[in-house]
Amino acid sequence: MTQDLRYSALKKTPFHSRTSMASRTNKYYNWNGYTVPTEYSTTELEYTAARNGTSVMDLTPMGKYEITGDHAHRFVDYLVTRDLSEMKDNTVAYIIWCNEDGKVIDDGTIFKFSSTKFMLCCAVKIYNWLNDSAYGFDVSISDVTDTIAALAIQGPTSCSTLKKFGATDLEKLKPFEMREYKIDGFDILISRTGFTGDLGYELWTDPKNAETTWDNIEIAGKELKLRPFGMHALEMTRIEAGFIQTNTDFMAAEDSLRPTRMRSPYEIGMGWLVHLNKNSYFVGKKALKKEKEENTTERCLVGLDIDGDKPAHGSVIYNSKKEDIGIVTAALWSPIMKKNIALASLKRPYGIKIKENIFAEIYHPEELEYRKIWARCKVVKRQFFNPERRNKVPADLYE
Amino acid sequence: MSDNSNFDAIIIGGGHNGLVCANILARKNKRVLICEARKECGGMVNNEITNYVPPVTTAVSSSLGGMQVNYLPKTTIALSETGQHIRLVGNQHIDHKSISTFSSQDADRFNDFHEKMSKFSKTLGSFMMASPPRIMNNSFSDYFKLFKLGLNVRLLGKKNFNEFARMIGLNIADELEDNFENTLLQGLIAHDSVIGSNLGPRSPGSLINLLYRMAIHNNSLFGGIFQIEGGNDQFTEHLIEKCKSNNVEIKTSASVKNCIVEDDRAVGVELNNGDKIYAKKIISNVDPRSTYFSLLGSQNLDTDVKRKIKHHRSKGRVAKLILDLNKLPSFNNCDDIDLDSRMVVAPSIDYIEETFNPSKFDKLSLEPTLEICIKKDSDQNPKLDIQVQYAPYKTNQGWENVKENYIESIIKIISKYAPSINECIEHKKLITPDDIESEYNISGGHWHHGEIQIDQLFMMRPIPGASQYKTHLDGLFMCGAGTHPGGGLTGISGKNAAKAVLDDF
Repeated sequence: MTQDLRYSALKKTPFHSRTSMASRTNKYYNWNGYTVPTEYSTTELEYTAARNGTSVMDLTPMGKYEITGDHAHRFVDYLVTRDLSEMKDNTVAYIIWCNEDGKVIDDGTIFKFSSTKFMLCCAVKIYNWLNDSAYGFDVSISDVTDTIAALAIQGPTSCSTLKKFGATDLEKLKPFEMREYKIDGFDILISRTGFTGDLGYELWTDPKNAETTWDNIEIAGKELKLRPFGMHALEMTRIEAGFIQTNTDFMAAEDSLRPTRMRSPYEIGMGWLVHLNKNSYFVGKKALKKEKEENTTERCLVGLDIDGDKPAHGSVIYNSKKEDIGIVTAALWSPIMKKNIALASLKRPYGIKIKENIFAEIYHPEELEYRKIWARCKVVKRQFFNPERRNKVPADLYE
Repeated sequence: MSDNSNFDAIIIGGGHNGLVCANILARKNKRVLICEARKECGGMVNNEITNYVPPVTTAVSSSLGGMQVNYLPKTTIALSETGQHIRLVGNQHIDHKSISTFSSQDADRFNDFHEKMSKFSKTLGSFMMASPPRIMNNSFSDYFKLFKLGLNVRLLGKKNFNEFARMIGLNIADELEDNFENTLLQGLIAHDSVIGSNLGPRSPGSLINLLYRMAIHNNSLFGGIFQIEGGNDQFTEHLIEKCKSNNVEIKTSASVKNCIVEDDRAVGVELNNGDKIYAKKIISNVDPRSTYFSLLGSQNLDTDVKRKIKHHRSKGRVAKLILDLNKLPSFNNCDDIDLDSRMVVAPSIDYIEETFNPSKFDKLSLEPTLEICIKKDSDQNPKLDIQVQYAPYKTNQGWENVKENYIESIIKIISKYAPSINECIEHKKLITPDDIESEYNISGGHWHHGEIQIDQLFMMRPIPGASQYKTHLDGLFMCGAGTHPGGGLTGISGKNAAKAVLDDF
C-alpha cells in the first residue's frame, strides 16, 4: 500500500481502517515498522473471545518471504534444522533456524506450495540472512511482507466463522495443512495454523481485498462471539500454549550483544526440531552435532506451575539453598487453567534432572508497595493448554 | 568409507605449494596424489608469469631435503625520463653511494629507514614462518604463539615498539615523504609496497605490505630479489623431479569437480570426467573462494562462513604484457648490466596514486606503473616481460574492447625510456587478471590468492575460523597462497600445511 510517509513514520496495514474503527483504547505498538493494536477494548475480554469464540488479529506486519526457484526445496531444507525433505505440497511446518554456532536466530512457519515455491513467515525481518544463506542455490528471495495481507482467525468457533465467510469444507483441513480459496473474486489462502494453541486458522490475501475480507468475516462471526484481539491477548494465549517468543524467551542469535546469551535449540526446548541425521548439511549442523555429542547444553526452557495466584513476571528462580538457577521469561495467571503458570530458563540440571525444591521470588506490586512472595514451583510440560479440539478433524462446527 | 582410500592424501592443484606439500608428505611415507587441472604442474611459477622470485627459506628447503637450484641476484633500477636512474642492489654501502649521487641526505636516511624496516620485518617474519595461532581454539600453544609475537614486538624496545605500533596501519606515502626528498626514490619504494595488491601508496595499510614483502625477501628492500638459473620454471621442474623420486603420483589434465563428502567429512574428490578417487586427507591448493564454493560447495557451508568467504578480497590488479622482440632496443642511459636488472617505471608517489585511482572504479589508467624484465625465449630472441600494476580484474568496457588500446599505452610509456621499442616488437600478448583467473583457475586472478592486508593475515588468513590450514570441513585442508603466510612463491604455506596434515593423521 503506498502512502505518504511525511505524515506517518510507521506504516499502516491494509486493515488499518478497520482495526482503528474497532479500537476503543487507541493503544498501538510498532511491529516491524507497522502500527498495530496492542489492545482493542480490554485484554481479558479479547482473551475470552479467543478461548470461547473467534478472535481476529491483524498479522500483516509478520515478516513474509517468498522463496522460489529450482533449488527452493533444497535451500529450505538447508536453512532450517528440521528435516523437510519429505514435506508435502500445501502443508505448513513449524521451524527454527540457527547460525554457524548452532544458536537459534528465530522461529517461524514455512509454507510449501510446490517444490519450487515456498513462503517463510516469522516475527522479525530476516531478508539479509535468507539472501546470504541462499548464495550458491538457484533460488530467488523476495520480501512479500507488504504485498500479502494476513489475518489470524483463532478460537473454538473459528472454523464455523470462516465456513460462513465462504470457506467450504474447511472443517476437513488438517492441522498444518493449507488450501486456496476463491472468495468474492479474490484468491485467499487459508492455513490451519496459529499462535494460540487452539483451533485456529490464518488467512492470506491481496491487500486490495483486505477491508472486504475483514468486513465479511465480522458479519460471518456475528453470532459466533467474534472479536478482534491485540498483541496482549495473544501473549496470554501463547504462554498457555507453551509457544516461545523470540527476544522474550530467548535472545535471537543475530540480536544478542553478549555471546553467552545466545541459545541453542536444546536450550529452549526445541531439540525435537533438530534432525542431525538429515541427509544434507544444514546451517549450524556442525556445532549442534558437537553440542549433542559432548553434552555441553547449559540451560533448558521449562514450564512452571507456581503456588499462589500472583504472576511471577521476571522472577528469579532459586533452588532450596537459595542459589540463583534461572529466570522467568514469561508468566501469567491462566484464566482457563485456573493456574499460576510461567516459562522459565533454568541452568541444567535444574528443570531436567532436578525438578524438586524450586522456588520463585515474586515481587507483587500492591498500590506502590511490593509484596515479596517466596513461591514453590513445579516443573511441568511447557504446553499448559492443549484442548482436544485443537487437532480434531473434522473441526468442531457451531451454528 | 576410508577403507577404500587409494591414497593417504590427494592434493588439488600442482602449484609450487602443492608440490612442496606433496614432497613433505611423501617423505613421511604417505601415498600422495596430485590432481592438476592444467596440462602441466607449477601454476604461476613459470617463465611467462613469474619475473622474479624470493629465495626459498632454509626451513622449506631442508624439509624437502635440499633444493638444487641456483639463484641469481638481481639489481633494481628505477627508470627516470631524464636518464638519472637509481640503481639499488640491497648492499648498504653500494646503495648509499648510489643514492648520494642525488641526495646525500636521502642516502643517510635510506640506511636508517632500511635498518628500521628490516628490524620490523624480522619481528614479523619470525611469526610468519610458523603456522598461525588459532584464536578460536583456546589452546595453550596458540596463546603462547600470540604471546611470543607480542613479546618479540615489545623486545624491540620502547621507542621501536611505539614506532611499530605507529607504522602497522600506516600508508607508505606518508612514511616515505617524511624520510626522502627524491621523488624517484619515493616512487620506487612505494611501487614495491603496493605491487600485487589492491592498495595505492596513500591507502592505509600499504606499509605492512612492504614489511611483508621484505620478510620473504631476506628482510631487505632490494636485496632478496632473484631469478633462477635456466628460467624460473626450473624451480617447478626441480620440485616435480623430487616428486618423482618420492613416488608422488601426478595426474595432469585432471580437473577436480568437487570434494566427496560423507558423514560431514571430506573423503575424496570427483573429477570432471566422473572419476572418483578416495583418500584419507584432501588438501586444496586452489584459492580459498574456489575451495569453499566449488570444492566444498555452498550447500555444505554455514551462512556465516559464506559471508566471510564472499567478503574475502581476492581480485587481482596485475596484468602481464609480453613483448617478443627481434632485437633489444637501447634504453636511455643504460648499460648491459642495467638491462639485466629489474627495471621499474614509477617516477613518483603521485604517479602511482594517479594510476591507482581509476582502478578503484574498474577503469584503466593509460599511464600505468611497470616492472620490466628482459628475458630470452628458447630461440635466444629477447623479450620484455612487463608486470602492469593496477590493471583492474574486470573493466567497465570489457577487456576485449580495450586490450589493444591498453597495450599501446604501455608501449608508449616504455618508449619514453627506450625510444626505438616500436621497431623491435614482433608480437604482443597481454595477460589480464581475468585471463589469469581462467587460465590458472584462480578466482579473481590474484597473485596471492587474496589480498595481503592486516585483516587477511596470520590467524585471519584466509578467514577467521579457517586458519591453520584447516577448512570448515573435516578432512579438507588448504595449502595454497590463500593461507598464512600467503603468496610470494615461498612454499611456506605448503610446508606448514603438510605439518598440519601430518599432525592430523
